[in-house]
Amino acid sequence: MKLELRDVGHVYARGTPFQVEALRGVSLVVEPGEVLAIVGGTGSGKSTLAQHMNLLLVPTSGEVLVDAVDATTLTKSELRRRVGLVFQFPESALFAPTVEEDVAFAPRQLGLDEEEVTERVLESLRALGAEELAARSPFALSGGEKRRVAIAGVLAMGPEVLVLDEPTAGLDPAAREDLLALILGLREAGVSVVLVSHDLDEVAEVADRVCALHEGRVSAVGTAAEVFYADPTRAPATVRVASLLRGASPGIGHPVRFRETLDALRAQQGT
Amino acid sequence: MQNPGEGTRPGGSFAVSCERVTFSYPGSAQPALSGVSFALRRGEYVGVVGPNGGGKSTLVRLLNGLLKPESGRVLVSGRDPATEPFEVRKHLGVLFQNPENGLVAPFVEDDVAFGLENLGVPREEMRERVARAVRAVGLQGYERREPHTLSGGEKQRVALAGLLAVEPEILVLDEPTSMLDAAGRREVLKHLGDLRFEKTVLHVTHHLEELLDADRILVLNGGELVADETPERLFSNADFLRENSLLLPVVPRLALELGFPPAKLRTPEELAEAILARTQSGTRSL
Repeated sequence: MKLELRDVGHVYARGTPFQVEALRGVSLVVEPGEVLAIVGGTGSGKSTLAQHMNLLLVPTSGEVLVDAVDATTLTKSELRRRVGLVFQFPESALFAPTVEEDVAFAPRQLGLDEEEVTERVLESLRALGAEELAARSPFALSGGEKRRVAIAGVLAMGPEVLVLDEPTAGLDPAAREDLLALILGLREAGVSVVLVSHDLDEVAEVADRVCALHEGRVSAVGTAAEVFYADPTRAPATVRVASLLRGASPGIGHPVRFRETLDALRAQQGT
Repeated sequence: MQNPGEGTRPGGSFAVSCERVTFSYPGSAQPALSGVSFALRRGEYVGVVGPNGGGKSTLVRLLNGLLKPESGRVLVSGRDPATEPFEVRKHLGVLFQNPENGLVAPFVEDDVAFGLENLGVPREEMRERVARAVRAVGLQGYERREPHTLSGGEKQRVALAGLLAVEPEILVLDEPTSMLDAAGRREVLKHLGDLRFEKTVLHVTHHLEELLDADRILVLNGGELVADETPERLFSNADFLRENSLLLPVVPRLALELGFPPAKLRTPEELAEAILARTQSGTRSL
């Protein structure tokens, strides 16, 4: 699916003294099967933008298009099945007595038969390495386990685009690596992933393209290398190191991921 | 059970002490913490790291009396948080993980003042302390904003300001920067750095880079205290880090892979400089 935002603006509390212009003329395409990272400082509009992707927030100007069709003409249930949104700290919405029932809640609303619901639940729990948690209470899990269960609940809808808002906040490094691996696995399976993150080092490892937001506007968009090398002061540590060495070693290239960067540095040192 | 009044003896000279503390959640087969002992001297800055489910958050809750140890003893400024939670909370303030859960008031400044109101601080002093705390976290101009219109990182700074305004001598920070971007994190860390020596700080985090300047780092895994080490020694032990799901930040990790001492090279600038120095000293072949 191709998801497009065209000149989207969003004003919170318009006409009150608390009016805040959170998005200003944002145009952006999420291509089928890509990992698109949305980066930017706190308050730059990242979460507001994420919530426009399935019209949880409706733009106060501009429009959202799903395969070139105005998203407001789709039913909400269809749109939210096709574009799954995982909030920040999604575990706060867990509610059912068991993990299995919690994950089954959303797909059951789609009117699938029980067999298919069960299959989807197991499949998404497996994708998150959480199948052994199926019979447990979601409230007795650790923070990382809860996070995976909450994401499984959205994945069980079978979305074509999965929007993850700061999915690794508060996770330990092992759980974070699992989640980044899941993102790459979903891309392999043809699902587009929109990753909202303030952690540029994590973005560097998975993003095909990067959209940088600043004060509600798109300040840069392109491949990860294009965006980060255009402004190495706002780039992951890998890009900052490589940029600093370019003067002495013009052949260092434009590595972004850790592994690429390590290889480039080793080549540059002749080791 | 020992008498809590004995807290002025050995353990009482420390800001915080835990003696063989064990705690299990109801219905869980394994203890969340088991036999944990350590002490914080006044003015120390100590980090706590370890995998999710390792016992970090349980430790925080035992320190401010939200949980009571099953066995062993916790003392905070010589008092037992299990029997005197309200007294302990005047001395020990906790910044919890998810700021959303802690914001209560209609405006930012009221939220920062909330803890002071409960302590009965006079109005004038309250104003000063709130203004100082708001400045300390870089939120000037936000005083009349409504907390629900703030971003996650801004909310985290409001929560931190509320804690600083109460001026406890011991601060327990449970992932204080988990929702901040790089700039916001640097700002909060700089302020936390300013508290060194002035406050006793226990800083729980997943980001080892926040603890480069810590006096010591405690590693909790599976409910046990598996290390109590200086950052320098901990960062150089790649096997131990891996076993405990700890990941060095990108720059020290690149440094370690390239054969440099990881705790010495913190910034991209320092690493680039070290690489240049090495290549210029003769071994280069471009």
